[in-house]
This record gives sequence, C-alpha cells and structure tokens, in this order.
Amino acid sequence: MAVIRLLELLILMAALAGFAGLLLRRNLFLKVLAMDVLGSAVVALFVLLAARSGLRSPILPRGADPADLGRAALDLADPIPQAVILTAIVIGLSIQALLLVVITRLARIDPCLDVESFEPRQRP
Amino acid sequence: MSASLSLSSTTLVGWLLAPYLAGFAVALLPVLTAPLLLLNCLSTAVLGIWALLGGRSLPLQLVGDYGVSLSLDPLAGWFLLLAGLVCLGVGLEAWRQGWDRIGWLLLLVLLGALNISFLSTDLISLYVSLEVVAISAFLLLLKEASPDGGWIALRYLLVSNTAMALYLIGAALVYAQSGSFRFEALAELPPGAPLAFVLVGLLTKSGVFLNGLWLPRTHAEAPAEVSALLSGVVVSAGALPLLRLEQLNEAIQALIAPVGLASAALGVLYALVVSDAKRLLAWSTLAQMGLVVLSPASGGLMALSHGLAKAGLFLSARHWPGRSLQGWRDRPLAWSLQLPLWLGALSIAGLPPLLGFIAKKQLLSGLAPGPAWLLVALSIGSVAIYARLCGAPLRWSPLPPLCWGALLLALPLLLGAPVAIAAADWWSGLLQGLATLLLGGLLHLGLERLGRADRLALPQLDRLPDLLGGLGMVGAGLVVAMATSAADAINAGGH
Repeated sequence: MAVIRLLELLILMAALAGFAGLLLRRNLFLKVLAMDVLGSAVVALFVLLAARSGLRSPILPRGADPADLGRAALDLADPIPQAVILTAIVIGLSIQALLLVVITRLARIDPCLDVESFEPRQRP
Repeated sequence: MSASLSLSSTTLVGWLLAPYLAGFAVALLPVLTAPLLLLNCLSTAVLGIWALLGGRSLPLQLVGDYGVSLSLDPLAGWFLLLAGLVCLGVGLEAWRQGWDRIGWLLLLVLLGALNISFLSTDLISLYVSLEVVAISAFLLLLKEASPDGGWIALRYLLVSNTAMALYLIGAALVYAQSGSFRFEALAELPPGAPLAFVLVGLLTKSGVFLNGLWLPRTHAEAPAEVSALLSGVVVSAGALPLLRLEQLNEAIQALIAPVGLASAALGVLYALVVSDAKRLLAWSTLAQMGLVVLSPASGGLMALSHGLAKAGLFLSARHWPGRSLQGWRDRPLAWSLQLPLWLGALSIAGLPPLLGFIAKKQLLSGLAPGPAWLLVALSIGSVAIYARLCGAPLRWSPLPPLCWGALLLALPLLLGAPVAIAAADWWSGLLQGLATLLLGGLLHLGLERLGRADRLALPQLDRLPDLLGGLGMVGAGLVVAMATSAADAINAGGH
C-alpha cells in the first residue's frame, strides 16, 4: 500500500507542476505543454486508481465463466476508471491538436509566442 | 402537451442523438438546414415545457450500473426550454447573416451536447458533454474570428480544459472514496478535496466569480450570434450541475452561496465602469450567473429569464451604431432595436411584470435577511448598469433594421406578466420595482456626474495569469471554508 501512496503523491506533484507551468511560463507553446503535463497526471491518477485491486488487465480468458472466476478475479485491475480515462485521453488529444493549430495561426502575429504580445492594452 | 403522456426511453435517446445526426446531415445536404434546425430546437423547447408541466423526474440508466445516468426533471426543463429558444433565435439571425454549413454543423452539435449536459447526473457523462460544448463553442468563436479572435478562442479553450482537468482529479477522488461517479455519491461524501476540485471545474464553466474572469472578454469579442449563444446557454451548462449538487446536499449550497453573491457584486461593479457596451453585457452575465447558482429553487427560472434577455441583447448588438458607451446618448436607435433592449434590460434588472421579476421574487423569498438586502442593493446596481444602455434617443424610420431573433427572444419575457399581476402582492411588488428604478436612476446620474471612466479605475482582471490564478484562489478558498466548517462541527460536537 505504501507504494501506491508514494505514486499518488508523485502524481499529484506532477499535476501541481503542470498547473504551475501553466501559470508561470510566458511562452504560449510551453503553456500548452504544461497543460498536457497536467492532463497526463490526471490520466496516471486514473490508471493508479484502477490498479488498487490488482495489476492484470481485466480481460476474461477464453471460455471462462464471468460468474466463477475464483482466485483469478482477485488480482484484476478495475476496468471502470480505465474505460473512463480512455475517453478523456481522446478528448485531451483533440483539444491539444486544436490548440496547436491556433498557435500556428498566432505565430504569424508574434513568432516568439510571448503571451504578453497578445494581451489587451486597454483598461477593463 | 398533456403531462400524463408517457415518454419511452428509446424516444428520449433518439431525441438526444437527433441533433448530431441532423448536424452531419446538414453538412452533407445544406437544403435540409432550416427544417432540421427548426425541428431540433422546437423539440428541445417542447420537451423542456413537458418536463416542467409534468413535475416528475424521469431517470434513465444506460449501459449498466456504471454507465451513463440521465434524468429528465423539472429543473432540467427550464434549461432545455432556454436552449431550444436561444438556438432558434440565434439560428434565425445566423440565417440572415448567411452562415456556411460548418456553422450549422457546429450549432447543432452544440445543441446536442447542451441537451446531454442538462440531463446527465453522473460526473463522467457530464465531463464528456461539457468538453463537447467547449470544443464546439471554441470552433464557433474561431470561425468568424478577427485577427484578435484566435487569441480569445485559444484562451477560452485553455482555461476551460485546465478547469476540466481539475474536475477530473475530483471525479477520480470521488471514485476512490465511494466507488461511483454519480452525483449522489459526491453529495454524500464529507466535504473535502474531491468536492473542491469538482466545484472549481463547474464554477469555471458557469462563469462565476474569479473562475469566470475569462467570460467578459470572450463574450464581448465574439461575433454577435456566438456571444448570444455563449452568454445565453453555454454558461448555464455549468450552472445546472451545481444546482443539482445543491439540491442533493444543503451544505454544498451554503458553500456556493457566498461565491455566487461575490460574483454578483464583482460583475455589477465592473459593469458600472466599463466603457464598451458589449463588455458591459458580458460583466452583467458574470453577475447574473452568480445569482443563478444561489439557490436550486429559483435557479432554473433565473437562468431562463437571464438567458433569454441576454441572448436577445447580444443579438441586437450587431445592429447598434457603435460599441463605445462614450456618446451613447447622441446616437439614436430605431424602435425595433429599442424594444428588445428595454425588455431585456428591465427583465434583468428585475422590474415587474417581466419574467426576471418573478425569478428575483422567488430567489428573495428563499434567502436570509442579510443576503436579501445585498440582493436588493445589487438590483439597484443592475438598474444603474442598464440605464447606461437605455439612454439612447428613439429614432423613427420607415424601414428599421428588424432583428427577428432578438424580438423572438424578448417576447417570452412578457409571458410572466399574467402570473405576476395575478399574484396577491402585485402592488407592493410594483412599488418596490418603481423604488428600485428610481434609486438606480439616481445612482446612474451620480456616476455620470462623477465622470466614472476617469475616477473609478479598477484593476484589469482579464489577463491569462489572472484567469488561472483565480481558479487556484477559489479552489484554495473552498478548501479553507470546508476545513473551517468541519472544525466548527467538531468543536460543536465536543461541547
């Protein structure tokens, strides 16, 4: 159990690092990469969550009766978080792609992609 | 439609899928655009009315116990009605602007995703539908973007996706503690980190307080039709889940209420000083969303009255002679633009007998005296905000620019009138309304005399670090509030 706690801590630190990068980096491209770090930490959190009940992939052996798995069911990973995070990975990938497309368009305004050059000058 | 009419789950699933099918059909065969859009918007609105009149909730569980859980209940009915009407109004105006097939595809996909987000009662279905809402709204923002528009759209998706990543962390923690992703599982947990993460995500989506700092600039810079969609319905996709959580657990309502009131105060304050008409409308949205999330009893009606009024105002904004509030009084407006402007403004300010008045009365009746007085003060502020827009002189012209979408959205605001007039305390309500109007007018005149733009310089709050910092600050604030209330409970138990 101690290993899981340690991994959990590492994952939350990765999420925090992603958020800090998003906040502190000035380059737009690095900001989007930092968002990806945050997203990857979330994926890792779900995978870790699924691994609490076991490490083997939750796939039934051929011909096995789902009602009578016996000892084999004991070390299977939880399929629910894995299924959920698969959707989130796809969504994350598509959003990442869309953001990168817009960034290539914005690079025509400022090739250095410094966030400050896109911010408004006027008051609220 | 009679309330006894039963609705099978197959019909419901078919209705949920219809906008997506229609969207892709429209992209392939543009001839079908008008009938399919009309059909989808009307069926959404009719289903909303049906849910409101039926008064029962119709739960639906798809793909097993851990699958998608949906619920069609009266609370969702308000939001469905709003989505149907706003998409119809925006569709009318977009038709006259000559949108291409990609625009129609995005509008229909947005409607479909909104419908699912209004019905879903588990964290993961809600996550997926909110992300589809965000992506289609982002593409709509980008479609007619000015050179500056790319940055606005990128900022929107960046903030929204960060908020949703935090929301997913919350969902994972809920599953770790209770083994389920349903709203009930979250509401039953003791308050703590899972709730804080989920709330940060949803508050960002609904544009409340510091989490909603992305909202004013995004809504103000978008093209008129997209602003109407964003301010009218897209933000309420985040508000409805908050209301559902408040319904399930009173402690969550006590946690969100101060954030909502703070949002209302912040929005009113900024809307009083900005110098741009669309920016004023957008800050007012931030204020009104704060009021929507205050109470689940009045939240639905509040969201409907605000969404209709604000979408109508944004739609008519395309025909305004200019956006600057400097010299607004010197530029006359035709009656066809004045009508939605006045109706929307008076309804948002909560004056009888419009729909906004009924919503505000319902909200006030459920509040403690302290917040109720604050709300009255905020109503006076709202009157002063909209007095800035209603000051334009009237121009008579034989062929005024007719804005059918805005008129369509403004007229339902009048439908509340018979209910308001039939109520027992109609005269006292009218007197209160007139008093609010008078005080708001005086406040407006006082601020004009002061020369607000020069003297009342507020800090600029809509740069990217502010938006992300706001997320972090509200999250930390929620955790602290929960920890102190838990400590109080332990102390009270100890004595």
